[in-house]
Amino acid sequence: MPCERKPMRYGHSEGHTEVCFDDTGKYIVTCGNDGDVRIWEGLDDDDPRFITVGEKAYSLALKNGKLVTASSNNTVQIHTFPDGDPDGILTRFTTHATHVTFNSNGSKVAAGSSDFMVKVVEVLDSSQQKTLRGHEAPVLSVSFDPKDEFLASSSCDGSVVVWNIKEQTQVVSWPLLQKTNDVSNAKSLCRLAFQPAVGKVLAVPVETKVHLYGRGSWDHVGTLSDDLLAQPVNVLSWSPCGRLLAAGSVGGLLTVWDVSTKLCLERQKHEKGFTICSLAWNPSGSQIAYTDTEGCLGLLDGISSSSTGKAPVSKPATDYDALFDDDDDRLMDEGLSDTSSPGKKPVVARDDGDDDDDFLVPSTGRVRKRGAFLDDENSLDTGSLKLGQDRFGDDDGAGSTMAPEAAPSVPLRPVYEGPMPTPPQKAFQPGSTPAHLTHRFMMWNSVGIVRGYNDEQDNAIDVEFHDTAVHHAMHLTNSLGHTMADLSQEAVLLACPGTEELASKLQCLHFSSWDTNKEWLVDLPNGEDVKALCLGQGWAAVATSALTLRLFSIGGLQRELFSLPGPVVCMSGHGEQLLIVYHRATGFDGEQALGVQLLQLSHKKRQLISGEPLPLSRRSYLSWLGFTAEGTPCYVDSDGVVRMLNRSLGNTWTPVCNTRETCKSKSDHYWVVGVHENPQQLRCIPCKGSRYPPTLPRPAVAILPFKLPLCQTTTEKGQMEEQFWRSILFHNHHSFLSSSGYEVDEESRSQSQKEQQELLMKMFALSCKLDREFRCVELADLMTQNAVTLAIRYASRSRRLALAQRLSQIALEKSNQVQEDEAEEQEEEQDYSSVRQTSGFGQTGPTAARFRQTEAEEELGEDEEEEGGETEEATEPRKRSNPFAKEPGSPVRPSPTPVSKAGRANPFKVAGSGKTTSSSGQPRVTNILDNMTSSRKSATLSGPAGRQNKPPVLKPLAPRAKSKNQSTLFQMTGTKTTHQKTQENPEPAADQQKQADVPPPTSPAENAENKRPKTGFQLWLEENRKSILADNPDLDESDVIKEAMGQFRTLTADERLSWTERAKGQTGEVAEMKKRKRTEGGVENEGTEDDENNAKKKNLDAASKLSAFAFSKD
Amino acid sequence: MDPSEVEFLAEKELVKIIPNFSLDKIFLIGGDLGPFNPGLSVDVPLWLALNLKQRQKCRILPPDWMDVEKLEEMRALERKEDAFTPVPSLYYMEITKLLLNHASDNIPKADEIRTLVKDIWDTRIAKLRLSADSFINQQEAHAQLDNLTLMEINTTREFLLDSLNFMFKLRSNLQPGSSKGQLTDY
Repeated sequence: MPCERKPMRYGHSEGHTEVCFDDTGKYIVTCGNDGDVRIWEGLDDDDPRFITVGEKAYSLALKNGKLVTASSNNTVQIHTFPDGDPDGILTRFTTHATHVTFNSNGSKVAAGSSDFMVKVVEVLDSSQQKTLRGHEAPVLSVSFDPKDEFLASSSCDGSVVVWNIKEQTQVVSWPLLQKTNDVSNAKSLCRLAFQPAVGKVLAVPVETKVHLYGRGSWDHVGTLSDDLLAQPVNVLSWSPCGRLLAAGSVGGLLTVWDVSTKLCLERQKHEKGFTICSLAWNPSGSQIAYTDTEGCLGLLDGISSSSTGKAPVSKPATDYDALFDDDDDRLMDEGLSDTSSPGKKPVVARDDGDDDDDFLVPSTGRVRKRGAFLDDENSLDTGSLKLGQDRFGDDDGAGSTMAPEAAPSVPLRPVYEGPMPTPPQKAFQPGSTPAHLTHRFMMWNSVGIVRGYNDEQDNAIDVEFHDTAVHHAMHLTNSLGHTMADLSQEAVLLACPGTEELASKLQCLHFSSWDTNKEWLVDLPNGEDVKALCLGQGWAAVATSALTLRLFSIGGLQRELFSLPGPVVCMSGHGEQLLIVYHRATGFDGEQALGVQLLQLSHKKRQLISGEPLPLSRRSYLSWLGFTAEGTPCYVDSDGVVRMLNRSLGNTWTPVCNTRETCKSKSDHYWVVGVHENPQQLRCIPCKGSRYPPTLPRPAVAILPFKLPLCQTTTEKGQMEEQFWRSILFHNHHSFLSSSGYEVDEESRSQSQKEQQELLMKMFALSCKLDREFRCVELADLMTQNAVTLAIRYASRSRRLALAQRLSQIALEKSNQVQEDEAEEQEEEQDYSSVRQTSGFGQTGPTAARFRQTEAEEELGEDEEEEGGETEEATEPRKRSNPFAKEPGSPVRPSPTPVSKAGRANPFKVAGSGKTTSSSGQPRVTNILDNMTSSRKSATLSGPAGRQNKPPVLKPLAPRAKSKNQSTLFQMTGTKTTHQKTQENPEPAADQQKQADVPPPTSPAENAENKRPKTGFQLWLEENRKSILADNPDLDESDVIKEAMGQFRTLTADERLSWTERAKGQTGEVAEMKKRKRTEGGVENEGTEDDENNAKKKNLDAASKLSAFAFSKD
Repeated sequence: MDPSEVEFLAEKELVKIIPNFSLDKIFLIGGDLGPFNPGLSVDVPLWLALNLKQRQKCRILPPDWMDVEKLEEMRALERKEDAFTPVPSLYYMEITKLLLNHASDNIPKADEIRTLVKDIWDTRIAKLRLSADSFINQQEAHAQLDNLTLMEINTTREFLLDSLNFMFKLRSNLQPGSSKGQLTDY
């Protein structure tokens, strides 16, 4: 039978240790020699809560939220569970008690003691005691009959006695055990046990066997044994259904029998063979927890799934258990919910719901009915269990516990089986730890930390700033009892809930104020409590219990107020944005139904997100809400998923990180304190075994990376896709910031663009390699025009002509789109532009406007290009002997249009700086000339035309196209000028040219040579020029060539042949390039003749140029 | 070698600090440091950490091993083993001393840590003496000692070398004729 034995873990110091489950089965509770009771939230819980009950704890029992322990001070005490508050002493003995146990409904406790006595005490009234005397040695164990009539006990005097509780008399006594003088000397603890629920038999461990005695008749009705059981059975425990019996032996063997068949279903050996001294079944019947005498805790899991037919029987038993304790459950969970665990509540809440309905039926009746269901129509008592099994065991196989439960219970009672409402999560401050803690963080954000202390000596608030330059640390006495806080660069905002006499108050320490009054206090109207608050830049917002949101200025002026659609959960502010999360409706089945509002409180106040649902992980709740440092809304749910607003996708929320993936243990969490988009950082505090950190020792902030949950991120493709989309998402804030009028870090912006295009190119190359041409085209769609040209080049290099053709279409579309955009812009522009402007000049309008927009860095580049353009113009007219040659060269040429336009932009700029004049004026000048003149167009226009193609931010395509044109032209006119020209060109332009034309970096001089078909010698020379120069540094160009020729001749014939062949390969390419350039040149020449040729046409040329490139391959 | 020189070397070890100021990357000969973000831990050399600490510009995070439980384990192991056990850091003594002297307010249970590290140190030094003793007693020519730190070697070097020299002198005086043969035995 497959059942998983979980590894043992340390529970208590060595010695007798006991274990039990709480009524819901959620917690494992242990006690041990160290006097602590530990409450484990599952076996993986690294940080269990503990209750200290005495110096040593001998035994414990837990029911209905009452924890009964037998401790070394000779008392049996009650503590509340799970809070651990002492709830009185139940009874005392003259020496310590050895075993305590509850009866089935939790109203009585029986305790056996080393002073030979057994006491039965009413839990609610400890004066109602019954003492059972008759043992002649310390009592080993006690067990209640489920019908509360009898009590069985075993003792070191060797006897097992059944008592009548009411009459306090012995009913029967068997001398079964070996006599000893003390519990510690006893061979076995002899933990006997009545069968729960039906209570047909009493199981008594006797040596290596378990005897079963019929209840009432007290006849020996059976024996359970196992061949492997070589050592005495120490403890026994019935499954909640009463069908299975588990036993733990001194030798560490765990055995589970099916009592009806007397078959051994399960055998597990303790991993170290230590004595098992306590056993407990999970109320769900699927787990057995056990402890050994070394203080270790272990767990067997998956018991029910393997025993056929057990599930349906055990499930009602669970309900039955829950029947008595649902009220306590609720209370208990209320207490827990403070620690923000509504996510767990629903499970319990559902049980509660069931049981609320059950309450219509009296509890005893319920038991009977359940019996009826088990008994079916006419079965006898003894057969009841079996019949139950048969009936349900056949039709539903192993494992399904839920389905069969519903089936039998529906006809029995009117039960609401639908989804149950989730208790709404309470309002909280993001970045704070629960309010019930004495030492807590009231706020931890990117500015600083607000700590609250609330113990006997002190009720104070400490404010500390991460950056001491903001303000020095503050220590405030918390006389008002503030529970909420927020902190910004300007102020500390504190609020306390109202009491019966005092109204809820809002206090603001406005430390950045320049006057002497740095504090203000506001009382809220009677009956209105602050539920959540936040600070923005120059304002404070408070959400109250009256579903009102009140805005204050940071100096204490009351501003707008408005009603919220539902009870607030939390709020966050950043700059001028206010983010509110509230309860939209009641959630069901553990879900929270939250809504979110995002408001912009700037001069143009508006609502960006108006009450849309906030997506959360299944059955989780909100645990953090805030903005990234760059101002993008962001939140974290209790499943550790971080989601960020994607403004470019219609304000949707994208999961960007799952903090639980990095957790080592199930009970570890990350407590988020801040999110940064640039650099991409999730700042959080790792919490071992808890959801939030303690104030001491001071927690350290860790940084987690972001990772979009894309598919197959282990593959190269998946990784690049993830990086690309993450980069897109995390740079959305640029466009948002610029749209809301903030300065944008242009450098990082262009950096990110570059990174994205690089990733696209990589993906493109990968897809090319995998022969995924369609995918390549899809990728090209995402690229900027600039990158597409590179892609075309890549495609044609790798001889994918169909692809290159398609890409050139895309390039065409893209350039058209750019033009359309410009046209649109132009239309807008025209609304403002002067009447004098004719549509013919439209093209330059947006270009000029864009120039004005671009930031310093960009301009710098432009200037350089412009300089390139100037030199070009300086040479150009000379060659072409253009009659208008002089005019374009003079930047201050008086022309009506440029003046009007420049006047629009900045009237002083034209006259003022020569640089700007040349950069903005020149294209215009040439454009005017285009319309007026016919002949001098091609070269001069190429600059501005190319610039029009330029995508807004990336480095323009223009210089490349331009330089290509140039070189073509120069090649036609003569190489000498080319040499001169390219060397004249400032470095960046040359670089770009190189990049465009010859991927392997070569010097500008070589660059020109590359244009011509090469001989093998030339290739060789290129490779070896450096070494020749190094050898003979004083040679001039012609001497170098001579020297090189000499060297080349000395090469072997084979080598020379290979160089020649290489040259041929390249020549093909170069020839193609030339061809393309010629066509270009041809087009341009046509263009020069064409009067109406303008930039638009030019763009088409650029595209056709590209296609020509593609075609010319074959 | 002076202990202060060893300490100087130890100051190159990296420790984590949480600065309370913000500063871009700084470029030093030894490498780039930072960027410093308030509230965010960053690795800096010990000398800078102490300097910043003295100017109240940062909080020092104690190294992982500077933890009472871990040190207790280490001490137990050190006492159990006859040989030297591996130390958490090659400069554990120096780092402990520097941090505890200058930043004891940032280190939880500083006193206990001081005692524990001192215990480990004492145990190790006792072992070192013991091995030096047996080395000399048995007149061994060479011995191998693993896991010794620079500071520990430094404490015993001068004394050991001097005494060996001196003993050599005494012995060669005893048997003036056979000093060369004695050397090979040694």
